[in-house]
Amino acid sequence: MAAYNPGEIIVDPADVEPELDTIDLHVNVGPQHPATHGVFRMVLQIDGEVVKDAIPHIGYMHRGAEKLSENLDYRQAIGFQDRTDYLGGFNCELAYVQAIEKLTNLEPPERALYIRTILTEFNRITSHFMFLGAFGTDLGVFGTSFTYAFREREYIQDLFEAVSGDRFMYAYFRPGGVAWDVPADFKDKVRWLCKQALVGASDLDKLLTDNEIFIARCHNVGRITLEDAIDYGLTGPTLRASVGYRSATPSDISPDLTFDLRRDEPYCIYDRFDFDVPLGSNGDSYDRYLVRLEEIRQSVRIIQQAVEQMPDGPILPARVPRLRPGPNEVYMRCENPRGEYGLYLISRGGTGPYRLRIRGASFCNLSALKKMTVGYYVADAVTILGSLDIVLCEVDR
Amino acid sequence: MSPEERRPQAVIVPPEPGTIADLFAEALPGVAVTPHQGVTDVILIIGRDDAPNVLATARTDPRLSFDFLRNLSGVDYEEDGLEVVYHLFSYKHRHNVTIRAKVPTDDPRIGSVAGLWAAADWHEREARDMFGIVFEGHPNMVPLLLPEDMFDHYPLRKDNPLAPLEEWQGEALGDMMAQAGHIPPGSGYDVVAAEEGE
Repeated sequence: MAAYNPGEIIVDPADVEPELDTIDLHVNVGPQHPATHGVFRMVLQIDGEVVKDAIPHIGYMHRGAEKLSENLDYRQAIGFQDRTDYLGGFNCELAYVQAIEKLTNLEPPERALYIRTILTEFNRITSHFMFLGAFGTDLGVFGTSFTYAFREREYIQDLFEAVSGDRFMYAYFRPGGVAWDVPADFKDKVRWLCKQALVGASDLDKLLTDNEIFIARCHNVGRITLEDAIDYGLTGPTLRASVGYRSATPSDISPDLTFDLRRDEPYCIYDRFDFDVPLGSNGDSYDRYLVRLEEIRQSVRIIQQAVEQMPDGPILPARVPRLRPGPNEVYMRCENPRGEYGLYLISRGGTGPYRLRIRGASFCNLSALKKMTVGYYVADAVTILGSLDIVLCEVDR
Repeated sequence: MSPEERRPQAVIVPPEPGTIADLFAEALPGVAVTPHQGVTDVILIIGRDDAPNVLATARTDPRLSFDFLRNLSGVDYEEDGLEVVYHLFSYKHRHNVTIRAKVPTDDPRIGSVAGLWAAADWHEREARDMFGIVFEGHPNMVPLLLPEDMFDHYPLRKDNPLAPLEEWQGEALGDMMAQAGHIPPGSGYDVVAAEEGE
C-alpha cells in the first residue's frame, strides 16, 4: 500500500469495469418545451451525452394558410401573410403584394415604396432583436438578453402600431401601395428609432459577443459547410454564416454573390441603397449570431438612407384596378429575416389566388437540423435549434 | 357554364433566344420540353417520365449546375391533372428556372429528387401529404405535417373544398359564414343549407 498523499486520487484498477454496455436512449424534446421556440418536437437518439440521431416532428401548428388563401380574394389573403412568419409580418406582406403586382402590372408610387422599405427593414431589426434575446436565454444569459433586446423592440413596435394600428398583425400593405399614409411625425420617429436600435445592438454586443460562457456554448457548435447548406436549401443568415466554411471538395460559386436576395436579385427599391451583407467564416452557431447582430446595423443604414430620400406624394396609384389577373404564375422571393420567403402564386383568371404555395425559410432551415446536430452533445442541440431562429408558424403554415 | 369555358387559357409565350431554355435544349436533345417565358423566370413544361432525367441533368450538367432547389410544390389543376413544380437556382451561374412536370390525377406517381437535393426531402413529404403525389424512391416517405392516419383525403386538392370542413367544425359557424357570403357557391355547403331550409 502506497503512502497516502493528500489530493491524490487512488483508483484500484480492479474497481473499474473496463467495458460497460451502453444502449442508445430516445429522448423526446417538446412539443411544449421552452427551448423549442414554439410547438416543435424532436426525438433525440443519444449515446451518453452524444446525439446519434435527431428526428424532427412538425405539423402541430398547421393551419392550412395555403388552403385558406385560395378561398379568399387577393386582398383578403393579405392577413394570412402576417400569420406565417409573425416576427417578420411586413416582410411576408411585401412578398405577397409584390407577387400580385407582378401579375397585374401595378406600379406602386414612390412614397409607398419607401414606406414599405422602412417598415420592412424595421421588422427585420425587431426579428433579429427577438433572436438575440431568445438565443442569449437559450445559452444561459437568462432574462438579461431578453430585457435588453425587448426595450428597443418595444419602441419599434410602437411605431408599427402608430402606422398600421396593430403591433403584429399589420395587414397594412396593399397591392399598389399601402393602406393609408403614415402619421405626420413618422420621419422624426424613424430617425430616433434608428439611433435607439443602434444603442440596443451595441448593448447586446457588449453583453454577449465577448461573454465567455456564451462563446463556450456556441463556438464551433453546429457547423455546416456551404455546400451542405446549399444542398439542404438553407437561406438567410444561416447560409451567410457558412460562406467561409467550405467542404473538402468545394463547388464553384459565382464570386459576385452575396447570398442576399436584396443584393443578388434586387426587388422593391433595394438597389438604391448602400449597405453591406455580413458573411460568416466558420459556419457555426456563433457566426450565425454575429451575422444577425451586424444585419441590425446594416438595416439601420438602409432605413437612414430611405428616410432622407422619402418623397411626398400619393401612397396608392390614382386608380387601382379590380384585381383579376389573367392566367399566369409567379414565384416571388424576398429576403426575410430568416431567409428566402417564396410565394408561388398561380392565377387562373379568378378574383383570388388559384394556388398560393408558401415556401417558408424556417421550413427549409429546419430540415437541416439532423445534419447539424448529429455528433454534438444534447445541450448543443438546443443551441443549434436556437441559432436557426425558426418560427414554427412559418414551418407549419 | 362549365369550368373549362369560364376559365381563360394561359398563353404560352416562347422565351427569347439566349435564355436558359436553349441550354436545356442543348443538354437534353430529344426530350420534349415546352419552354415558356414566365413573369420572372423561364418555365419548362415536361412530362412525368422525362422528369428524373431532366432534373438529374439540371443538377449535374456543368452548363446548368442547378445546386439550389428553391421550392418544390404540388398544384392541382383539376381537369388538367396534377403538377409538380420545381424552382431551381444555380449559385455557380446565377440563373433561375422553373420546371413543371405534369402528373395525372388518377395515377399520381413521379420520381423523387431527394437524392439530388437534400432540400427535396421535406418538400416531397409535404406534397405527398397535401396532394397525394407518390414520389417513387423517396427514402423516408412518412407524413410530415399531417397526422399519420390521415390517408383518406388530400387537403389541398380542389375536390376537397373548405366549406364542408367548416360544416364539420360546427353547424352554427357554417350558417353564419354562409349568410355572410363567405362560403363560395358550388362548394356544397349552400346546397345542404337550402335543403334543410325547405
